[in-house]
Amino acid sequence: MSIGSPDSTVGVEEHPASAEPVRAASVAHGKSPTRIAMDRLRKDKLAMVCVGIILFFILVAVFAPLLAKLEGQTFSAFHTDLVDEFGFPTTGPNSQHWLGVEPKTGRDNFARWVYGARPSLIVAFSATLFGTAVGVVAGLLAGFLGGWTDRIISWIIDFVLSLPYLLFAIALVPIVESMRGGSFNLTPEEQASTRFYVLIFVLSFFGWAGLARIIRGEVLSLREREFVLAAKAIGVPTRQVLFKELLPNLVAPIVISASLSLPAYVTAEAGLSFLGVGLVEPVPSWGQTIAVATNWFKADPIFLWLPVLGITALVLSMALLGDAVRDAFDPKTRR
Amino acid sequence: MLYFVARRLVSALSVVLVTLIATFTLFFVAPTDPAAAICGDRNCTQQRYNEIKRNLHLDRPKVQQFAEYTAGIFAGRTFETAGVKQKCPAPCLGFSFKNDRPVYETLKTRLPVTVSLVAGYAVLVLTIGVFVGSLAAKRRGTMGDRALMTSTLVLSSIPYYIVALMISLYLTILYPILPRSGYTPLTENPGKWVAGLLTPWLVLGIYNCTQYARFSRGSMVETLSEDFIRTARAKGLSDRVVTYKHALRSGLIPVVTIFGLDIAGSLAGAIFTEKIFDLPGLGNLVIDSLNNYDLPVIMGTVLVASVFLVMMNFIVDIAYSLIDPRVRLA
Repeated sequence: MSIGSPDSTVGVEEHPASAEPVRAASVAHGKSPTRIAMDRLRKDKLAMVCVGIILFFILVAVFAPLLAKLEGQTFSAFHTDLVDEFGFPTTGPNSQHWLGVEPKTGRDNFARWVYGARPSLIVAFSATLFGTAVGVVAGLLAGFLGGWTDRIISWIIDFVLSLPYLLFAIALVPIVESMRGGSFNLTPEEQASTRFYVLIFVLSFFGWAGLARIIRGEVLSLREREFVLAAKAIGVPTRQVLFKELLPNLVAPIVISASLSLPAYVTAEAGLSFLGVGLVEPVPSWGQTIAVATNWFKADPIFLWLPVLGITALVLSMALLGDAVRDAFDPKTRR
Repeated sequence: MLYFVARRLVSALSVVLVTLIATFTLFFVAPTDPAAAICGDRNCTQQRYNEIKRNLHLDRPKVQQFAEYTAGIFAGRTFETAGVKQKCPAPCLGFSFKNDRPVYETLKTRLPVTVSLVAGYAVLVLTIGVFVGSLAAKRRGTMGDRALMTSTLVLSSIPYYIVALMISLYLTILYPILPRSGYTPLTENPGKWVAGLLTPWLVLGIYNCTQYARFSRGSMVETLSEDFIRTARAKGLSDRVVTYKHALRSGLIPVVTIFGLDIAGSLAGAIFTEKIFDLPGLGNLVIDSLNNYDLPVIMGTVLVASVFLVMMNFIVDIAYSLIDPRVRLA
């Protein structure tokens, strides 16, 4: 028998039947870890349902003006004729206002709901983008360069993680506003746009540190591996080692972290708006609508339930998808 | 050991110091104008504006202001307003812009509310969470375990404030199944204290125990497959003694870690609970101060909360190395 002989073709010739499985196995090995994870994810029915729901909300957000036009209403037009003297809406859902109107102002519920999906998604996606970018770069630098760079970055990570994030988010809002001239001097539009950027800044500022810590840990073990040593030995510049050699090996933690932080950011945005520190009028946002609607929940439950269902469905499907993504990329977590 | 404690202490103190500098910079060095904020928009004459600036020492160099603020925290300081001296005793965090009371005094009246809330929550979350988690770990793989874990995953994926708000609106106001929330000091009327805090405790506890359940389940699953558990079983100990005396003890170590951090975090982060259930704690204070642009109060609360978090981090680190001898003290 020729098992263990360096010339493997001898064995294949002797046992032609065994050639088949060997080739099949090599095909399976050709898949990248990302491909394998994506295949695993595609088989997860719950994850696919979640993808569908998230896509639905993205489409609603993208086509918000079109949907509002289809209904024939805008999100900002007041219909004071549709509310009585106490502010209660006099009409329920009808062909003109598909989901009824707001109490007090009489603005169209449907139009405000479809527009409300926009800030949630924009804030969440941009915060994830910035947070992930900063976290990856900081983690790569700390882990790969070591020494003082590592010490300083690690200290900053510890510092950021030990700050009470909700309190800081609340504290930052009046400060940034007064930098722009104080909330008394800002027009509502200016105030709303300021709040928008403050939110993205705060969320990404507190979001990068966790990922940076994970990436640093991974890089610490990766940088001792042969392929990195080889790259360094043949004189590949540091930047190329970081982004061409190390980064592709970090896809799993990055994807997992991003998919878990998306629902967290949607939750945080709506939560801060609910507390009155996030988005403000005239930007329609679900969190802020919930805060107003709690005063009307007995008389006008639709007004409350629309944003509540919107946030719950979006966050729930994002979180479950994030969980499925983690299982797909890191099967060890599923026991 | 001593070296480890000292090193952690230095690192904790450095974080506190930087937090102090960062909050001070944010509030007083950034192009904000506290004097204008106090003075208000209407009938603010230049003279009054200058007077406020002088009284709060805002016209002095920033470094000196910072030194005075820091010194005030340890030694107290005196402000002079229109000839009247106002003393701000030892942990001086400045005066509120809104009601001219020392910030520390306001914090002291609000703290018991938040502490009561967190204390009850801590008891609930630890008992329910760990019990459910170890139960699930023992029956790993059964229908009950899977149902429990799925439901905890779904529940913890819904934003907390939505759950709390819906329960508050529908179960305490519209259909009063649970008692209406409110705060009565414990020393005044213990019965009312419990009744007023019961709903927030339950909501906080049940929502957050899902994470504890998942966490302690994972930890217990690992512990139950260890050799010393097999030894205990081989000795003929009863199932209950093995699970709750031998396994739980070592399985709880990681749970204790997140518990410490969670408690510190919820002292600062009980904002949603306090807002929704209308409890006059620290979180509500911050929101009120935000609406009044009361910067010293916000700054004081942020500072106190940060110090508390750092302290808790430090304690957990030390406790962790004490409980688990495998943790390397380096």
